[in-house]
Amino acid sequence: MHSNAARTIGKERMREWIGRLMERAEVLAPTSARAGDIILRRISSPLEVQWGGDIPLLPPKQAVLPQTDPLVSIGRGPGGFVVEPVYDETPRVLFGLRSCDVKGIEFLTRVHEYDLADAAYLRRAAAVTSVSVACVAPCAFGFCICCDAGPFLADSFDVQLTDLGDRFLAEVGSEKGGRLLEPSADLFRTGRADEVALRHELEEAAKRAFGPETCHFASAMRRVSVGRVSAELWDEIADTCLECGACNFVCPTCYCFSVKDQARDGRWVRCRTWDSCQFRAFTLEASGHNPREAHRERVKRRFFHKVSAQYFRRDGAVGCVGCGRCVKVCLGTSDMPAVVAAIRKGEWHG
Amino acid sequence: MRRAHAIRGRRRVTGREGKAVDPVLTTCPFCPCGCGFYLLAREGRTEGVIPSASDPVSRGRLCARGWASHEAPAWGERLTEPLLRHDGRMRPVSWETALDAAAGSLAAMRRAGRTIGVLGSARATNEENYLAVRMARGALQTPHVGTCLSPAYQPLLDGLHDVTERHAGSGGVADLEGCDVIVLVEGDVAVTHPQVAGAIVRARKAGCRLVTIGAVASQMTRLATLAIAAPPGRERAVTFELAAAALATGRLDTATIVAAGETFDELRRSLAGVEVSKAVARAAGWYAQAQRAGIVVAPLVGDATDLRRLAGDVATLAAATGHLDRDGSPLLMLPARGNLRGACEVGASSAFLPGFAPLSDEKAASRLEGVWGVPPARETGLDATAMLSAARGAVIVAEDPSVVLPAGALAREALGRMECVVLLDAFATGALELATVVLPIASFAENDGTVTGLDGRLRRVRAAVGPPGMARPGWAVLGAMLGRLGPAAEYESAEGVRREIARAVPPDAAPRWRELDQVGVAPKGERNGLRRRSLGPLTPCEPVEPAPFVALWNGVFDWGRDPLVRYSPTLCRESVAQRKLFPGGFVELSKEAMERLGVRQGWPVRLKSAGGEAVAPALMRADLAAGVVVVPFALRDGLAPAMGGRSVASVAVERA
Repeated sequence: MHSNAARTIGKERMREWIGRLMERAEVLAPTSARAGDIILRRISSPLEVQWGGDIPLLPPKQAVLPQTDPLVSIGRGPGGFVVEPVYDETPRVLFGLRSCDVKGIEFLTRVHEYDLADAAYLRRAAAVTSVSVACVAPCAFGFCICCDAGPFLADSFDVQLTDLGDRFLAEVGSEKGGRLLEPSADLFRTGRADEVALRHELEEAAKRAFGPETCHFASAMRRVSVGRVSAELWDEIADTCLECGACNFVCPTCYCFSVKDQARDGRWVRCRTWDSCQFRAFTLEASGHNPREAHRERVKRRFFHKVSAQYFRRDGAVGCVGCGRCVKVCLGTSDMPAVVAAIRKGEWHG
Repeated sequence: MRRAHAIRGRRRVTGREGKAVDPVLTTCPFCPCGCGFYLLAREGRTEGVIPSASDPVSRGRLCARGWASHEAPAWGERLTEPLLRHDGRMRPVSWETALDAAAGSLAAMRRAGRTIGVLGSARATNEENYLAVRMARGALQTPHVGTCLSPAYQPLLDGLHDVTERHAGSGGVADLEGCDVIVLVEGDVAVTHPQVAGAIVRARKAGCRLVTIGAVASQMTRLATLAIAAPPGRERAVTFELAAAALATGRLDTATIVAAGETFDELRRSLAGVEVSKAVARAAGWYAQAQRAGIVVAPLVGDATDLRRLAGDVATLAAATGHLDRDGSPLLMLPARGNLRGACEVGASSAFLPGFAPLSDEKAASRLEGVWGVPPARETGLDATAMLSAARGAVIVAEDPSVVLPAGALAREALGRMECVVLLDAFATGALELATVVLPIASFAENDGTVTGLDGRLRRVRAAVGPPGMARPGWAVLGAMLGRLGPAAEYESAEGVRREIARAVPPDAAPRWRELDQVGVAPKGERNGLRRRSLGPLTPCEPVEPAPFVALWNGVFDWGRDPLVRYSPTLCRESVAQRKLFPGGFVELSKEAMERLGVRQGWPVRLKSAGGEAVAPALMRADLAAGVVVVPFALRDGLAPAMGGRSVASVAVERA
């Protein structure tokens, strides 16, 4: 059983710790890419880790559910076709995640666990350990506080760091998290009461900094769940959506996919690829019939899945962690906060 | 000797086995908006995309095509070895054999005085298009060079040049977001140029007035403050009225009027007495009064003269009201596909030398002779359709003319009649069956170079993986062919080709080609104010002849058969389904028209025009005007006879 006692690590020792993690696993962390964008990718040196800065546009979903995800390899054998599952169980540490992204991975794992468990996903996810950094201030478009997904986490994390100035407070939330700290016990010391108190002060200050105007899911959930949103309103929203699928792709909780075989050196690899419920062809049937032919039906479907009581009961949370990425990447104006506000108010100002 | 012309560009950037390589910053290969993103790759295959939030055009926003741009290079049917047709069958050969055969055939045809055409492409980089031009006007001494899509775009540039003396608009996509008024001459930009549509949607949210001019309703017309219906294929009838109405408002730019002198009076006289509808007058008033006002012209169907005059109308409108070159007032002509503007700029044109230098320009000719070692062919060439009909041999770079040209079937027949077709492509297309020599080249994901966005920005394309099999970058293959055709040409990299472009274009355009930074260079000298001192006159639009039905293609380009869509599992689905359901095409009619004809959804109707007739199922489209018939450009082969070779035609429609 892991110990819940908080520990601290001086910032000057952080590189050493990351270096040790890199010896045992692939470490993915926010880094600065060529054009200055912050991108989560595998690091080859602890110096590459970018502390602070914008939230990466692509969530860590790519580490558990890649855009192109090989599931099965198909080849010819002496007795016919040979089908072999493809599993990726590479140990990975996702370092420097935001709280919302930890919640996103938890959501995805829950979805892939129930009903028919998805072995490809679960084996990859089981090998992933997260080290998140609690947010001491709201990010530009984030509203995690409305989704119980931040700015600090009370559960769901493996290791949660809080920036205390010249050191980090490290909280261990799982056995996997504990295993990241154990071999480096010499770098940490037990957290003092004043350090734990400071962490709680920072959390309260971060919560207050969100202010009153955020994203109110409750009344939207009520209206969506009982079908009290008019077709005209969905039409208006749909007219400002350009069906790019970006809201799905960057969403930490979206998992729509398509399956296609890719030819590779005389074999075929059956891949799961990201797809979008906003694409007309996503529900297009072989007969030519499309149950969601009208654009408004697709937009409606997305938000029903995200905020309806039916899905809330099934998934245990709204399908949103308030990361605000959809606000940044929406090619039109139909991002989550805008649509939730429209559903609540019954009018669209997009 | 031969070693000097060996093929270059063997650099491989593949990651170690099983390992991911760092994300590579590149430019979207689809439409000409020029969005930036990072390509993700593993085991030598592209596997994902990350948008670039710091990109000046896309700012983290990509459309569905951009998000799926990693798919076609990884999933597509790729050309991996040079092929040579022998006894009617294609056989794999070495690069040496293939290049010798291609260059030998072309040189022999040139010696025999046979007509040869060279087609660049909006799918190829600037460097590849430039080398195609150098091969045509230099090595092969043929003026027949261009792209399949130029006929729908070049007239718009010419129209701008008539007023502004430059073949370019001004401003960029991001400028649209800050506009108080946007006039959109609409095709269907939400589908063709989603980044432009996105900027318009956000501008609307911020309170911008949107005026759309178009014959067919679209997502943008539904968002419009004022949607002005134009006669099918005759948007120019409205732009002419708009220019007249704006001049009548009296809110004109004094500096422009003074500079234009007597020609301004001439312009006014040409517009006197023009009857303007109330709607157009309102739109003109908004435009003239706005602080920041944008004009966007989507790819349109219509004849070249009308398109040229339309561009002249809107340029005059912008100039007279002081919006031309004003910061925050963009004037954008949208090319139909990716690098069409770049292809035209580097000289893939029947009427210009690189950098839009006129064919008669002695300085440009001697400059090119200095660079190429041979004077350029300076006759006016044939456009792509005429070129294929007349030529006995062709070099085609990254294109399948039969799916891009409006008269696709005729293009296919023409290619079938040729003695020699040298095809350079990354993907297997229908053109493969008609080629004599196939030279496999890198796709955008494996290539270095530049493309030009619709705003004129030069953008870098970077290789994220190595080309498959024996394929090599297009610039390297074209360089090797030029080496064989002579005079000698040696390129070590795409950068080397770009440096040569800087020497080949007029001096005022050269700095742009030299000073390329990480994300590209916005064109300089495009905001220097109206250079030309003459504004008028404008020619009125000829009245539309009354006809019970006018049929028009619903666009000028079929994305469904572009290899980057066709080979993308995510993007190809709608097009595949449409072809499966309607192999012979369909036509869209208004509810009123269907009731009048007594037909129901899916029932066959016959379209007859002076050119011929065709039968296709009718589908109802609620937002269509009663006399308009929309014919899908993508499924045009079966319906082409009814259109009589035109993009807009008066037709009779009857129940079949």
